[in-house]
Amino acid sequence: MQLFIFKQCTSILKATQQKAATIRELVLGIKEVSDASIFHHTYQYFLKGHILEYTNDFAQWVGEALEEKTLSEHLSIIDPYTFDKISELRTRIVGVIKDYLGHFPEPRPALRGNEFYFNESATIIFPTGIVAHNLAEFLQALKYVDSSSIYYHFYEGRSRGIYGPDDFSTWLSDKADEKELSERLRHIDPFMYDIESMRRLIVQIVEQRVQKDMETL
Amino acid sequence: MIRLQDYTGISPKTDLQLIYRLSARLSRKRFLHINSTKSGGGVAEILNRMIPLLDGLGLVVRWEVIEGDQRFFTITKKIHNSLQGLQEEFTDDMWAYHYAVNEKNAKTLDLNADVIFVHDPQPVPLIRFRHSGLWIWRCHIDVSNPVENVWERVSAYAGKYDAAIFSVAKFAKQMSIDEFIITPTIDPLSEKNKDLTETEITEVADRFRIPRDKPILLQVSRFDRFKDPNGVVRAYRMVKKYNDCRLVLAGSSATDDPEGDAVIREVKEFAGNDPDIHTLLLPAFSDKDINALQRMATVVLQKSLKEGFGLTVTEAMWKGKPVIGGNVGGIPAQIINGVTGFLVNSEEGAAFRIRQVLNDPDMAKGVGENAKQYVRNHFLITRQIRDYLFVWYAMLNKGSTVMEL
Repeated sequence: MQLFIFKQCTSILKATQQKAATIRELVLGIKEVSDASIFHHTYQYFLKGHILEYTNDFAQWVGEALEEKTLSEHLSIIDPYTFDKISELRTRIVGVIKDYLGHFPEPRPALRGNEFYFNESATIIFPTGIVAHNLAEFLQALKYVDSSSIYYHFYEGRSRGIYGPDDFSTWLSDKADEKELSERLRHIDPFMYDIESMRRLIVQIVEQRVQKDMETL
Repeated sequence: MIRLQDYTGISPKTDLQLIYRLSARLSRKRFLHINSTKSGGGVAEILNRMIPLLDGLGLVVRWEVIEGDQRFFTITKKIHNSLQGLQEEFTDDMWAYHYAVNEKNAKTLDLNADVIFVHDPQPVPLIRFRHSGLWIWRCHIDVSNPVENVWERVSAYAGKYDAAIFSVAKFAKQMSIDEFIITPTIDPLSEKNKDLTETEITEVADRFRIPRDKPILLQVSRFDRFKDPNGVVRAYRMVKKYNDCRLVLAGSSATDDPEGDAVIREVKEFAGNDPDIHTLLLPAFSDKDINALQRMATVVLQKSLKEGFGLTVTEAMWKGKPVIGGNVGGIPAQIINGVTGFLVNSEEGAAFRIRQVLNDPDMAKGVGENAKQYVRNHFLITRQIRDYLFVWYAMLNKGSTVMEL
């Protein structure tokens, strides 16, 4: 079994100097901003450490600042992990908004001070100093590593390079010979949990496997 | 002397680990901060705490303060006000004097360093005298709605820096340089935020003659109309019909604010003879008293109509209190409505949330715990040190959005 090196990440916000007060300005911004900005407002939504009733910053702003709940529902159902490229995700978001505007009246502008600010982030990845050599150590580490490590391996792992599975399930299937356990992690809906709830769920699933292992003759 | 190790178990481990890693990469490099005062105001307060911590990390840290006369500081005060949207009169002579004083300082200050953080608009023209290093303008004030021609003058200097740092995304301005967002922070080990014993809290309550016989609503702020003290009294009266409680309005004496005395008189007059309203005028350096007041409160209010970042909100959240804040300035960056506190847009909204908190102690406790955890993860001084080093490192690796250390 090859070891699993737990890493963690920290990000810092950068302003893009682009903002939107209306839905049309939001569309314009989504078309124009960098891939890094689209990535930040969608994939990195989970870095904020809590989930409300939305799954990305665009849906949250449309729901909260424009009070356009139907559109925010349409935006929340977009799963960024099903796109191979940011450009495809960008096109989809714009398409959903345009389709909505074709059927519903134009929303009012956001109140002053509640505009959408397009940001990007810079990220530093660094080791936690924790390494797992087997499943029991892996379980122990999952319980105590910083939440940014869970984010890095479970969420960011899916969007690294080609969009694929998270780092945990990849290690379990490819290096730890735990294909069934790996499959269970791959079937978790990432949008339904904040990071700490996600940690508890993964711990619970791995713990069941370790317990079973302990009881096997 | 305070050291980074003292924050172990208080700040997130990941922040401390990254600070050590970044400072190892930047070891023996020269880090210069320049501002316009050694004491008084939030910038000096945080630098006073931060400089010794950075110094202990193997960086060569200096803090320089520009010198100016009364005329200079009158001009910079007007610049400060105008950048926050207040109309002031300016002449070309005043701008020339602002530059000339900085030019004079540039001749006496040693501006050689690897990275130079220039804080706020007073010393912003120093960029004209750069010799070497990365120059970063750290803007602590809300410049989202400035008087435009004043911003044009300031941005003519700010735009020459390598990067700028603003406190909240909506405070950032359009410039063709890198702009980072770093929120202000509090120091959990300072007098204002460190843990207090029950005896210390009781001593403060007794000294201010605040009986702890019923729930305490607290607002700590300067006596300023933008902090809406009369609105807080009205919200308290709405609550009082349903829940017995006390209201404590605590603020510093506003000797430098000509309107301050008038506002205090108004508040006292408006409060009338209600024995459950306590209006406290605190002298400067009342940090420990403020700490104790926040810790004895059941609910903390910051019902501002206009606000900068609102560090009093952060302070109360760090003490695990449910905070009800106005939906303005930097307050929404701290309060996730219903999760880490409550955002309100009216006196009625404030009254309703206070009643909810007073009637559901379990919910209030949960919100307070979330608030403390949120501050721990986002608004402690160690996070700000981490981010300053991060910006420095990111600027040395310009163009990279992901860096591995």
